[in-house]
Amino acid sequence: MRRKKAERLCRSAGAVYCGLVYAFLFLPIVVVVVNSFNATKSKPYLSWKGFSFAWYGKLLQNTALLDSFKNTLILAAVSTILSTIIGTIAAVGMFKYRFRGKSVIDALLYIPVVIPEIVLGIALLTLFATVNIPRGMLSLVFAHVTFCIPFVIFNVRARLDGYDKSLEEASMDLGVGRLKTFFHITLPVLAPGIGGGALLAFTLSIDDVIVSYFTNGQTKTFPLKVMESIKSGVAPDVNALSTLILIVTVLFVVLTQSGLIRRLRHRKI
Amino acid sequence: MSKHKFRSSTLPVLITVGPVSLWLAFFVVIPLLYVFIMSFCSIDENYNVVFQFTLDNYRNLMDVNYLQIYAQSILIAFFATVICLVLGYPFAFLISRTFRSRKTFLYMLVIIPFWTNSLIRIYGWRTFLGASGWLNQTLMALHLTDSPMDFLFNRFATILGMAYVLFPFMVLPLYTAIEKLDPSQLEVSADLGARGGATFWNVVLPQTVSGVFSGCIMVFIPSLGYFYVADILGGGNSDVIGNLIERQFQSGNNWPFGAALSIILIAVTLLLVKLYQKCGGDMQSLGV
Amino acid sequence: MKKRQMIGAFLTVSILSGLLTACGGKISTTGSSSAPAESVSAGSSSASSGSASAEGGKGSLNLYIWTEYVPDSVIQDFEKQTGVQVNVSTYSTNEDMLAKVKSENEGAFDIVQPSDYMVEQMIKQNMLQKLDHSKLTNLKNISDVFLNQSYDPENQYSVPYLAGVAGIAVNTSKIKDTITGYADLFNPKYKKSIVALDDYRAVLGMVARSLGMSMNETDDAKIAQIKTQAMKLKDNIKLYDSDSPKSALISGDCSLGYCWSGEIALAIRENPAIKIIFPKEGAYVFFDNWCITKGAKNTENAHKFINYMMEPQVAKAVSDEFAYLQPNQAAVKLLGDSYKNNPAENVPESVIKKGEHVKNLDTAALAKYNAIWTELKK
Repeated sequence: MRRKKAERLCRSAGAVYCGLVYAFLFLPIVVVVVNSFNATKSKPYLSWKGFSFAWYGKLLQNTALLDSFKNTLILAAVSTILSTIIGTIAAVGMFKYRFRGKSVIDALLYIPVVIPEIVLGIALLTLFATVNIPRGMLSLVFAHVTFCIPFVIFNVRARLDGYDKSLEEASMDLGVGRLKTFFHITLPVLAPGIGGGALLAFTLSIDDVIVSYFTNGQTKTFPLKVMESIKSGVAPDVNALSTLILIVTVLFVVLTQSGLIRRLRHRKI
Repeated sequence: MSKHKFRSSTLPVLITVGPVSLWLAFFVVIPLLYVFIMSFCSIDENYNVVFQFTLDNYRNLMDVNYLQIYAQSILIAFFATVICLVLGYPFAFLISRTFRSRKTFLYMLVIIPFWTNSLIRIYGWRTFLGASGWLNQTLMALHLTDSPMDFLFNRFATILGMAYVLFPFMVLPLYTAIEKLDPSQLEVSADLGARGGATFWNVVLPQTVSGVFSGCIMVFIPSLGYFYVADILGGGNSDVIGNLIERQFQSGNNWPFGAALSIILIAVTLLLVKLYQKCGGDMQSLGV
Repeated sequence: MKKRQMIGAFLTVSILSGLLTACGGKISTTGSSSAPAESVSAGSSSASSGSASAEGGKGSLNLYIWTEYVPDSVIQDFEKQTGVQVNVSTYSTNEDMLAKVKSENEGAFDIVQPSDYMVEQMIKQNMLQKLDHSKLTNLKNISDVFLNQSYDPENQYSVPYLAGVAGIAVNTSKIKDTITGYADLFNPKYKKSIVALDDYRAVLGMVARSLGMSMNETDDAKIAQIKTQAMKLKDNIKLYDSDSPKSALISGDCSLGYCWSGEIALAIRENPAIKIIFPKEGAYVFFDNWCITKGAKNTENAHKFINYMMEPQVAKAVSDEFAYLQPNQAAVKLLGDSYKNNPAENVPESVIKKGEHVKNLDTAALAKYNAIWTELKK
């Protein structure tokens, strides 16, 4: 009995602790969301002047901010697609074949992951300045793909770990070409790994600050636009946009999760 | 025979691994090599880089000032890592084991804040901690203090910000490692009479140590370079190495010196990674 | 399970973006954001804003300006009036601007706003192009006091925009002492109460003036003295901010400030307890100018813009939002007494005369100042 009581106490203490950590994690989010309803009109927009939806309206007029968000999405999409393609085929190639220099490539892949982003940022800036690659969307794509590829490869590789080559061999024995085998046999098995890698790449690209800071030229991405706003005092329309993004992503997660629970229930029945 | 061999193994290798090799060569190897070369260059009167060999950049770097900034940066990174570890380990354990019935939901709850832009969240901290911010206003309303307290624009705020931004990078590896624990081992340990502390020290910790190490590395190294956290929350007087480097490429107009600072930072990073590997760290877990 | 939810999130964000950008208004067909995106798919990569003038409207204009210096409303009015698409990037110090312009391809930015000494530096480095005065008909509105300066005789490369000093801001509700000069800022009792500019020439220049020296010393012994004096400031500065130092003054994070006079004027508007003090040692004076970069792609639009900025109504709108010293006499007439009698905005001529401008120094001296700066900000 005492043990049960102790266990229950431990559980409650644990719940309180987790609650506090979540409070810590969500605190700035709450600040951001609440401030998006701030009726303040004067810089630096810090003091609370009343509740208002005004800034949500102003957000729709702030073309610069919306453009920067559009840029970020385009950039993330392009980077994700490119890095997923390059990364997936690279992971498959490295898994299947043995060749000289494999360990070198393996080591090189860790560089963008491990070194501080600022080093990658200035290195790429130096490259672009020397080779005269115009700084803008193009340089941003190059930069983002560079740090996304390793994550795709790692994720696909993890999926390849228990992969059974015999399926592929069987398919090719039956006369199916190498390419077709790849698309119909290999890819579906790898799908979760590819999906995970692509998702990770997308997430990293959307929130990238430091590498974009050095390689963006004049193209504003959303994080860089926020950085610019922070310098002069963040107007609540930035908060409004962040709140909207947060609401939509949370909603969808909730929806898909409950959709899954329904699926599981159906299976059990 | 050999033609067939070429077609059957070299071509697929080229197609699959070729693109990534080219990409790495052009966008990782060459830029870093160039940075290395540039660290030995000088600048002329118009701040343009000239290929004149000099060790001046490294000599200037050895100045006490810069070494102190490196030391300070390492200290800030260290404290941020410790905070993340101390907060994150029990947290990951609780989610994974104690509340395992809800663990996916709880895990998602950790990830969701990080889908909001990190800069705006750091700014949220600034709004919270400032002299007329939420915390001070609450404290004053509760009459706990007469005048606003200095929570912001100091090293404390910078460390807090770093720990906040990098928290998920500590929790994820820890969670993965704790997930791999065999619950029956814990039961056996309890059955054999070991109390919680002993079980933790002898059973749980040794098996999760890889997660601890990769979490620490994933928090420590970025903290050295996150200049914007130091700028926004530190107010400009708790510079980390990232700030130094950024300044050379901006107002300092001294790219070679910035390159030298970066090379030293890379060296520090490589040292830490080697240390990590020596302590039994697994490179694979760094990418997940 | 995790993946599915995350893919859902991915889809959601893309849908959201589509909705927002559809509501948000016109798709930018000009400017650097979309043109390179198209060039990526086309496989070619020419300079980012090159194709802009061929597409919609009257072309584009790439501004690179100080933060908190040109009102958004003014830029938007220009866009409406002329149909030119304006892209704005901002910087916090002259040196930042120089670094960025140098690191970009020539002509990436059309217009920049260097201060006096930076105009001279950029002319020397061949980074500016001569202005066509025939297109700048509103130049007659600028007071002669600001024209024909030593850094650009006959205004071949620059026209004045705004001017001011780096003065001292005192929140009199928190600080009851009398502050008269830069030297007072070094008093140890002001620990952690100053918001200073994040600009090494400005801050170290202030340190030099507090010792009675020039802001442009090159003598080693004098620089060493400046260093010793600067270290006394270390504990007093709470925050470095060149972009919006008024925020710290208004929010109460700092009760003293070493800021641009316009920022102090704006802080005073929010909190009348804040006062501006012009240092008795002589202040840091600056004149900011409009310049067109060499190789600028939109020279025609650039001239249009500069001429537009010198219109009396526009200059008045600028002064209404950013309260600096206005060289445009026609605008001053429109501004009336609230400007004329406000020393923070209409910085007295005596202060300007007594003050000192920053000058260009050789790289060796600047390296020494940079080293002091690094130690100060440590």
